[in-house]
Amino acid sequence: MENNFSAENSLRLIAETIERSRRTIAKNSGKPLILWGALVAVTAIVIWALWSKTGSAAWNFLWFAMSAIGAVSMRFMTRNSEKVPDTEVSRMLGKIWMWFGIFSTGFFALVWAAWGLRCAIGIEGPLRVDLTLIIVLLMGLCGTLSGAALKFKPITISSVVATALSVLFLMVMPEGSALRILTFVILGLFALIIPGVILQKQTNN
Amino acid sequence: MPDNGKLFKPLDPLLHSELRLAVMSILLDAGSADFVYLKAETGATSGNLSVQLDKLQQAGYIEVTKGFKGKMPQTVCSITDRGRDAFAAYVDALRSYIPGSKN
Repeated sequence: MENNFSAENSLRLIAETIERSRRTIAKNSGKPLILWGALVAVTAIVIWALWSKTGSAAWNFLWFAMSAIGAVSMRFMTRNSEKVPDTEVSRMLGKIWMWFGIFSTGFFALVWAAWGLRCAIGIEGPLRVDLTLIIVLLMGLCGTLSGAALKFKPITISSVVATALSVLFLMVMPEGSALRILTFVILGLFALIIPGVILQKQTNN
Repeated sequence: MPDNGKLFKPLDPLLHSELRLAVMSILLDAGSADFVYLKAETGATSGNLSVQLDKLQQAGYIEVTKGFKGKMPQTVCSITDRGRDAFAAYVDALRSYIPGSKN
C-alpha cells in the first residue's frame, strides 16, 4: 500500500474511507434504535393503561424511569458490541439526541415551574400546553436530522411519516384523553423500530 | 499544465501514499482511533502500519499515545491541527490535477 497513485484514486480513497466509517456508525445504530423504539412503545402502552385505570396523569413520570432503563441497557449493549471510534457523524448524532433530551426535560420542568408559579400567585384556570405535541415534533425533527446525518433515507422518510401520523393522531384524539399518549407507539414503531430493523438486516447481510 | 490552464500544485509526498492517506482520512473523521481499529479498517499488516504511523508522527501530523485499556496495552492515534491543515492543503492540491474541478 506504499505505492503512489493518481489524484482520482486519492480522492476516491478519501471518499470511500469516510463513507465506510459512516456505514460503520449506521450499522451500529440498528440495535439502539430497536431498543429505544420498543421502550418508547411499551412505556406509552403502560402509561395509557395505568392512566386510564387510575385517572391520574402522574404516570407520565414513568418516562424518566424509561430513560434510566434505556441508558443502562445501552451501556450493557455497547459493552458487548464491536468497538468503533467516535466520528464526526456519531458525535453529531449524540449531540442531536442529547439536545432532544435537554429540550424535552427542560420544557417539562418549565411547564411544571409555570404551573407552580400560577398556583402561588393565584392565577386560576388550567394551564394549556400540549406537551405531547411538542415532544412528538421534537422527536420527529431529531429523527429526521439523524437520518440526514447518516445519509440513510429509511430513517429520514420514516421519521417524517411517523411525525405526520402522530400529529394527525393527536389532532383527532380528544384533549386531555389518556389515549393521546398512544401517539408514542406510532412514533416508536415508525421512527425507531422499522428503520432499526432495516439497519439490522443490512448488518446481518 | 492541466487543461483548465492552471498549474499543478505540489502534492505532499507524505500524504500521497495509499496507507498513510487512508489513516489520515479515518483520523480526520474520527479525530482519534486505536491501532487495532486502524489495522482492521485499512487491512494493513501491523509492521507496515507501525512504520507509516511513525512517519506521520515524525511529520507532526498525528500524535501517538501508548497506554493501557484495562490490562491490555493500547495505542491511540490522534490527528493534530498541523495534520488537518496538511490534509486540507493536499485535497486542495489534488483538485488542480482533476480537469474541470473548481479550485
